[in-house]
Amino acid sequence: MAIAVVVILLVVGSVVFHLASPWWFTPLASNWGTIDATVDITFWVTGIVFVLANLFMAWCIIKYRSKKGQKANYEPENKKLEIWLTAITTVGVAAMLAPGLIVWGQFVNVPENAMVVEAVGQQWNWNYRYPGKDGELGEVDPKLIAPENPFGISPDDPNGQDDVLVFSQEMRLPLGEPVKLLMRSKDVLHNFAVPQFRVKMDIVPGMVTYQWFQTTRTGRYEILCEELCGVGHHVMRGVVIVDTPDEYQTWLNSQSTFADTVAARNVDLDAGKMAYAPCAACHGASGEGNKLLNAPKLAGLDDRYMKRQMDNYRSGVRGGDTADILGMQMRAMVSTLPTARDVNNVIGYINTLPITSSAATISGDIERGKEIYQTCKACHGPNGEGIWVMGAPRQAKMDDWYILAQLKNFKSGLRGSHEDDWYGGQMVQMAQMLSNDQEMNDLIAYINTL
Amino acid sequence: MAYVAIADRDHEEHLHDPQTFITKYIWSQDHKVIAIQYSLIAIFVGVVALVLSGMMRLQLAFPDSFDFIVPADYYQFITMHGMIMVIYLLTALFLGGFGNYLIPLMVGSRDMVFPFMNMLSVWVYLLSVIILLASFFVTGGPTGAGWTLYPPQAILEGTPGATNSGTSWGILLMLVSLAVFIVAFTMGGLNYVTTVLQARCNGMTLMRMPLSVWGIFIATILGLLAFPALLVSAIMMALDSLIGTSFFMPAILEAGEQTEYGGGSPVLFQHLFWFFGHPEVYIVALPAFGLVSDILACHARKNIFGYRQMVWAIVAIGGLSFIVWAHHMYVSGMNPYFGFFFATTTLIIAVPTAIKVYNWILTLYQGNIHLRVPMLFCIGFIFTFIHGGLTGLFLGNVVVDLPLSDTYFVVGHFHMVMGVSPVLVVFAAIYHWYPKISGKMYNETLGKWHFWLTFLGTYSIYLPMHYLGILGLPRRYYSYGDTAFIPDSAQSMNVGITYAALIVAVVQILFFINMFWSTFKGKKSEPNPWGATTLEWQTEKHPPEHGNWGDSLPVVYRWAYDYSVPGEDRDFIPQNEPAAGHAEGFDPENPHDGPHHA
Amino acid sequence: MADDAVASTTPNDASRWGSVVNDWSRDKQTFEVPWGKAMMWIFLLSDTFIFSCFLVGYMNVRMSTTVPWPFPSEVFALSFGGDPIPLILIAIMTFILITSSGTMALAVNYGYRRDKAKTVALMAATAILGASFVGMQAFEWTKLIVDEGVRPWGNPFGAAQFGSAFFMITGFHGLHVTCGVIYLSVIANRVRRGDYDKKGNYEQVEIAGLYWHFVDLVWVFIFAFFYLW
Ligand code: HEA
Ligand code: HEA
Ligand code: CUA
Ligand SMILES: [Cu+2]
Repeated sequence: MAIAVVVILLVVGSVVFHLASPWWFTPLASNWGTIDATVDITFWVTGIVFVLANLFMAWCIIKYRSKKGQKANYEPENKKLEIWLTAITTVGVAAMLAPGLIVWGQFVNVPENAMVVEAVGQQWNWNYRYPGKDGELGEVDPKLIAPENPFGISPDDPNGQDDVLVFSQEMRLPLGEPVKLLMRSKDVLHNFAVPQFRVKMDIVPGMVTYQWFQTTRTGRYEILCEELCGVGHHVMRGVVIVDTPDEYQTWLNSQSTFADTVAARNVDLDAGKMAYAPCAACHGASGEGNKLLNAPKLAGLDDRYMKRQMDNYRSGVRGGDTADILGMQMRAMVSTLPTARDVNNVIGYINTLPITSSAATISGDIERGKEIYQTCKACHGPNGEGIWVMGAPRQAKMDDWYILAQLKNFKSGLRGSHEDDWYGGQMVQMAQMLSNDQEMNDLIAYINTL
Repeated sequence: MAYVAIADRDHEEHLHDPQTFITKYIWSQDHKVIAIQYSLIAIFVGVVALVLSGMMRLQLAFPDSFDFIVPADYYQFITMHGMIMVIYLLTALFLGGFGNYLIPLMVGSRDMVFPFMNMLSVWVYLLSVIILLASFFVTGGPTGAGWTLYPPQAILEGTPGATNSGTSWGILLMLVSLAVFIVAFTMGGLNYVTTVLQARCNGMTLMRMPLSVWGIFIATILGLLAFPALLVSAIMMALDSLIGTSFFMPAILEAGEQTEYGGGSPVLFQHLFWFFGHPEVYIVALPAFGLVSDILACHARKNIFGYRQMVWAIVAIGGLSFIVWAHHMYVSGMNPYFGFFFATTTLIIAVPTAIKVYNWILTLYQGNIHLRVPMLFCIGFIFTFIHGGLTGLFLGNVVVDLPLSDTYFVVGHFHMVMGVSPVLVVFAAIYHWYPKISGKMYNETLGKWHFWLTFLGTYSIYLPMHYLGILGLPRRYYSYGDTAFIPDSAQSMNVGITYAALIVAVVQILFFINMFWSTFKGKKSEPNPWGATTLEWQTEKHPPEHGNWGDSLPVVYRWAYDYSVPGEDRDFIPQNEPAAGHAEGFDPENPHDGPHHA
Repeated sequence: MADDAVASTTPNDASRWGSVVNDWSRDKQTFEVPWGKAMMWIFLLSDTFIFSCFLVGYMNVRMSTTVPWPFPSEVFALSFGGDPIPLILIAIMTFILITSSGTMALAVNYGYRRDKAKTVALMAATAILGASFVGMQAFEWTKLIVDEGVRPWGNPFGAAQFGSAFFMITGFHGLHVTCGVIYLSVIANRVRRGDYDKKGNYEQVEIAGLYWHFVDLVWVFIFAFFYLW
């Protein structure tokens, strides 16, 4: 008896939960209202079945629970009833399936006029590529992917020269334009999902997959990777910013093309050396760092990482928080390098400085530190050498006091909590796993042994 | 075609006679002992997986509070949790456990047709479990590739358990363990199928078999045809990982370095995996369907409604399950046109399944329902299965899957339909057959507490998960960090879910106490305490001894559901009871009477 | 319910379909064969799925690979002093295996007639033919690996998957043949010892025969897919 009452309560409770749930689809930002409509139809059909079937069962239990002298009815089957039930079910299924297939037909057929954009997934971040003025994406070959050519664009294909490359995690799209998003992966499976757009698709290495949508609202929408891709799967985030077409165009024009990135590789080391002079005051003539001045070692950092930090300082993504006093100092210094060219030259010069070991200043339980480092090594490499695709800088042989300070900054959110600090955001999540200072010391003590 | 008598094969059976304790309980060839060995091993690993799920829930509710759960651990936990629950617990328990115990008894045979092979099966299964658990103790730990083991990720650095130098033992042990499991399953499965087909007693036609046997029988066939795909993909992946072939590996980078791989197809693996994986979910569902039918009929004192449709529905579901696999791959990047086909076939499965659900409910209708513990679990099953099945229709309808795939909606769906419903049936079946297996009665009060807490607890774990999924929370996320569209309330919900999960996990202790206590201290049970019709309750000895039937095999005269037959005093007639007046005869008026080949 | 089985046994139900249903659903045994034979059928059905998955996988990688596929008739050519003859070795191997199917069929036939000596001799012949097949396969592998530099992970002729799939599938089949040879020898030995005369039937010979024919049949498919495509 109790069970019948409970079943009724659960049915009512589930319906109430459904109606009252604050957790529902995020407000739609694309043309896929038809998907929402299909979901609604499905909810109605299944909801009715759910309620009717369970209430009938509860009624049976109440009515036919065992009583003295009661005997069950002997009824092996009832053809007519079964045929009716089968027919009704078939109708219900068709009512859900038919609209579903029609909408799927729309999803499969991309409109002719859709603009093409490419998203490239890698462990555990995003890059994007827009066709340049010619409107065509250049040929790519996974075998060409390397630190100098992260997209693997074929240098011989003229179509590729003007491709716009976006190294940040942020992509922009013009409002209202249908977009055919091509997707490529450098390493493992990933998935490009924006909940507000409703659609998603896996990214498969060795293939180019696609999805299409048309944005309907300006705004900032998170991109989630929804295919397990290793330890960093949950921190693989990006952002789509939907702009008015004008703003979009301005942004697009400010991005560098493939040809630009090739050109940026020719650095002027002499100019770099000159420009490095002010830096040397704090960071040391050979980039060895200076603890007294809180200036970290630079020699050994890879150029993409340094470039990104410079850009972050410049835009205030890093050091923009007034509580970050040292960061604010560095922010002021970056202005001594006004152009991208200057930055490239300096970084080119720093790259020539010798990598030596820094003196250890922190001690701790190395064994425990090694355990903790198992998480870090996925990005920073088993020997702390840093891995370029992951945007993870070198740890081994760097200043341990600086690593400690940064871990604390990440943990407290002083660094990495700006919404455009993508990799910093990942580090915030990682640093939060270190529950106390002792763990940080243990970890760093281990890094010192690398 | 006339009936051709087949010589009674009884004399041919070399029943291996147990002499010592070891041959009786350890190297036993008795299907009942093997069944118990299978079940104990399965429940043991099941508890391991349950503990893992507890740790996962702790992490999800309280991110960053536990040093012993870093992302790598978390992904290793979900992988092992999923794999153990699906394969090493449910598949083994339903087929190796219930299949072994019930098939020979229910079809009236002395044992499985090849008892020695049956014995090997359980030991090889134990070996596979040991290999699997060994992966917790190797460098790097078990693989964290998700229970789907998708390459390229599964064998590359960056995946928990993959080591950057030397062999990645985690994934390798997983693949080897699966292969060994498949060998064990094949040895057992050939036995179950052959026994059902070839070793029934006189009068036991296929259409008189209890639905439990049907469910297990078809599930075993699914297993024999589906596991090959897993075996092949495991072999190919092991080769990719060990000697550098490129079956599933296109040209890719590993930790920023170019690899030697090239030209393979990751989607091929997914096709192979789900060609196995989808039938696999029915391998754990069909036995549950069967068992629940018998238990319902017995405790409702009413024949199962529409037996023939039930049988055909099982067969149809089994058949259809081989042509729906790509519904797990709607967003995998396969040719999107496949979506039309697979969405249609997937939703068609709802029809035979719906028939089963209706028939269970119609069995209760006009019944005489005894709400004992097994019955409560069955009703719980019907409720959660309807819920889980209906959410399956969302995912099966390809466009509705687009927003929901890879979110907690999927997690909610498959736990409701696989993590809750069949588990409720497992409990129902254990309580129902407990008197037969042990000769004792379980404690009804403890059993009821166990039911209520488990049923309400699990529903409150998984109902909210669907809504988190609709909101957009992706599955297989160690933590959610700061995400604009996820409100804080979602995190509070996660905390609530975790409390429910922990309570449910702890509550299982009641079950174990009940089982243990009753084995030693329980009331002695009658030979047929529920008044059931099926053969296993009609054995000479209680519990049945080796050889099951004493001197002569039973003869079956009727179908398995003669409950509350009009004109009978008792409310059941055992299958082996000749109808009054037609001792050995056959009454053409009564379809349920007499061996039809007499 | 049970009534369709009942209905179909009523004598006046002479329809074809009725008799099929009747056969399948009669009590005790669905198929009029010994248990072992029924089990072997089911096992072979399962094994068919294994080989089908292998072959489907092979076809799939052959299509997905980005590099041209090697030309089988050149890779598998063998020269006896003069010009290389394409596929000659494989033709011989196939011939041997098919012959062994013939000897096996004869062995089963003599088994029915309880002709112990002939059965043993023919089974031994089958096993020897099988062993020589494995031997030639070993020769072929050696030639591919040592002389032509084909490896599972790469080869000089084109797509790496060529070697991978070739070694994996022929290896798996070779394993089946090897097991078959051992199995046949064991059964032949039992026939020779007279085990089955005591038991009164030679069904084990027939069951072994089923397995052997299956292995041969699979070879035909492998042959077609690898060497002729
Ligand atoms: C026991 C296991 C089990 C069972 C029985 C089912 C049953 C079903 N499943 Fe489920 N499923 C899983 C286990 C199971 N599933 C698992 C483990 C996964 C995830 C794997 C992973 O990715 O890790 C999964 C994932 C999964 C997906 C992939 C989602 C994704 O990854 O994006 C899909 C998509 O189609 C799906 C569909 C279905 C359907 C349509 C059914 C149907 O069979 C349900 C049929 C039942 C009913 C419909 C209810 C009864 C009917 C009625 C009461 C009447 C209905 C009336 C009308 C419709 C009018 N399931
Ligand atoms: C049968 C299958 C089964 C069962 C029973 C369970 C039981 C549970 N599962 Fe799990 N789960 C899976 C199959 C199952 N799961 C699979 C396949 C995945 C996907 C993995 C992947 O993504 O790779 C998954 C993933 C998964 C996730 C998602 C992780 C993620 O995506 O990040 C979560 C999160 O909460 C979860 C939680 C739980 C909880 C709290 C329980 C339970 O604690 C709930 C309560 C359970 C019971 C009441 C059962 C009680 C008893 C036993 C299980 C054993 C003892 C048996 C006997 C005594 C007979 N499971
Ligand atoms: Cu990338 Cu998950
Ligand atoms: Cu499925």
